[in-house]
Amino acid sequence: MGEEKKKIIEMRDIVKRFYIGTPNELEVLCGIDLDVYEGEFLAIVGASGSGKSTLMNIIGSLDRATEGSYILDGIDVSKAKDEELSGIRNKKIGFVFQTYNLIAKTNAIKNVEMPLMYGGVAQKQRNQRAKELLELVGMGDRIHHLPEELSGGQKQRVAIARAMANDPAIILADEPTGALDSKTGRIVMDLFHKLHEEQGKTIVLITHSPELAEECQRIITIKDGLIVGEREGGAAV
Amino acid sequence: MMLMENLRLALSSIKSNKMRSLLTMLGIIIGIASVIAIMTVGNSLSAELTESMSSLGAKDLNISVVNRPVDIETDDLFGDVVYVYDEDVEYKRPTDDDYFTTEILEEYSNAFPDDVVAISVNEQVGNGETKQDNKHANLSVIGGNYGFLFSQRFKLLQGRYFTDGEMSEASKVCIVSDIVVENMFDGDMDKAIGSAINVAVNGKEYTFYITGVYEYEQDTFAFTNSDKRKDINTIVYIPIRTAKAITHSSSVYQYFSVILSMESDVDAMTENTRKFFNDGYYAYNEDFCVDVYSMAGMMESLNEMMGTLTLGISVIAGIALLVGGIGVMNIMMVSITERTREIGTRKALGATNASIRAQFIIEAIVICIIGGIIGMALGIGLGMILTKVVGTPAKASLSSVLISIGFSTAIGVFFGYYPANKAAKLDPIVALRYE
Ligand SMILES: Nc1ncnc2c1ncn2[C@@H]1O[C@H](COP(=O)(O)OP(=O)(O)OP(=O)(O)O)[C@@H](O)[C@H]1O
Ligand SMILES: [Mg+2]
Repeated sequence: MGEEKKKIIEMRDIVKRFYIGTPNELEVLCGIDLDVYEGEFLAIVGASGSGKSTLMNIIGSLDRATEGSYILDGIDVSKAKDEELSGIRNKKIGFVFQTYNLIAKTNAIKNVEMPLMYGGVAQKQRNQRAKELLELVGMGDRIHHLPEELSGGQKQRVAIARAMANDPAIILADEPTGALDSKTGRIVMDLFHKLHEEQGKTIVLITHSPELAEECQRIITIKDGLIVGEREGGAAV
Repeated sequence: MMLMENLRLALSSIKSNKMRSLLTMLGIIIGIASVIAIMTVGNSLSAELTESMSSLGAKDLNISVVNRPVDIETDDLFGDVVYVYDEDVEYKRPTDDDYFTTEILEEYSNAFPDDVVAISVNEQVGNGETKQDNKHANLSVIGGNYGFLFSQRFKLLQGRYFTDGEMSEASKVCIVSDIVVENMFDGDMDKAIGSAINVAVNGKEYTFYITGVYEYEQDTFAFTNSDKRKDINTIVYIPIRTAKAITHSSSVYQYFSVILSMESDVDAMTENTRKFFNDGYYAYNEDFCVDVYSMAGMMESLNEMMGTLTLGISVIAGIALLVGGIGVMNIMMVSITERTREIGTRKALGATNASIRAQFIIEAIVICIIGGIIGMALGIGLGMILTKVVGTPAKASLSSVLISIGFSTAIGVFFGYYPANKAAKLDPIVALRYE
């Protein structure tokens, strides 16, 4: 983690509370400090319900922290308005979900084009870019397939291509292999390694698999809304 | 850029739910179809009405001697005067004493000098024909005074009307149609004028000298009595006295018409005429009185009836459109609930609230416009069938196309806005977590 590396994420004392009825407030994140550097491959692990996804949603600007400060690639997200947040999600973040979340009845290439469309890229360029990305994830021969015509692993590869569309500062993957068998999970994981190594992408990965976590550069453990451990993984430089 | 994408999305979402979309559109389809159908029928009918108003002499009053009714009622709907008769009574037939005399008519015409342009009386002699060396024409002979000839509003192609002398001396002169000239004189009008034709009517033969030729015109509302022009039965006009002499009837009339001046108020004159006779000459006639009606009154009634009908159908169409709009709103709510995760995903990918709102409003508009186009096609078809039944030429207009598209777009925007806005305001996390 050389000092010369640029900080992509800088979180200080992030607290997230959910209000379920007036007297009961549920503190899911209890003061998280987190720095992620450019080009890093980070794994977040922890028991179910520990607050991993909640943290991920805040990193991804899908949700706001109740307290604390968060700077993403130089932008103070905690002060951003709704419309700015959609711009941040569009340009800075690439999401990969456990359940793929491809848009139904919309073919692979249109799915990959979607972030480009919301980013205001012209039809010709986005078609070109989407094709390249689908080639990159090995789905070049399935560009006109609908989501229901693809296997889980294929869907996830399309979803990864989509996450890459606007060349985001960071890719966030919440249990991307959670719904896949180990062999297909392997293919998806290899794809992340490829993006990390060949494209220098910053990747944050939530996983329940110790083996997959071990492949990352740094592993963070969350318990009851707090970071309780941090160590280097097998891929550490 | 986004518009094309949104249209594509809307169409694919409609396509994947064909039956549901069609059912949703039904209200719009019915609403637009009925609006367009009444517009088509209404337009062509009122165009036809105005056209025939002038040619049929809408401002003429028709006055006749009728049996005295047991009661006189005013029709609630149109304000017309209606004579009521007792169905069980056998009414008397009028005699010459009950009819209008020339003197009464003159007095009446003098009483309203500003309104009455001419009095029209006629005497129907009957249907007949004329034959000469293999040539043949069908005729019906009617005698009339100047007022009657004027009220016929025909165009004299050649020759002249009757002179005062011919009128008063019951001369054997006539004015025939161009069809008669075509049949009997090979269309040579110069030759026809001054020539004699022999007319067989009621088993007797009469000879008339032609003084003029008028142009036969097909009446829009009347039935044609023959498909072939040469077989059409046309009127031969003769002086009224000539006709009376032929029918051996006295110089009294059971009915007459009044041609009113342009400034005259038809409704007021209808009432005044009724009063003039019923409070005057017929006040002491126990069995008979006078009834007056006008083409204008009938036209007005017809127009009002159409207006009421149009209003009624418009209300139904309005309700159908309202129900259709609510249907669209409902289906949009369902669609948005079904696609909650999609909305969450789109937001995660950078969709703004405005772009989500646009997506769903456009989907609602597309549903409505497709419904509107189907409705318009059905409406024009229905309108054409209806106008065919009524017998007027169909007038489907550009405005009906604009109205369909305009109405359905408006419904789409109005009823699509609430669901679309709901979708736009969804919290991305909540939407993504939606099961
Ligand atoms: N919208 C919400 N309202 C109330 N409580 C919530 C809400 N979202 C999450 N929680 C709670 O926050 C806690 C953390 O949830 P989170 O989804 O972050 O867990 P996780 O670490 O991702 O678990 P898993 O590994 O099972 O995905 C849970 O106890 C959950 O019930
Ligand atoms: Mg989770």
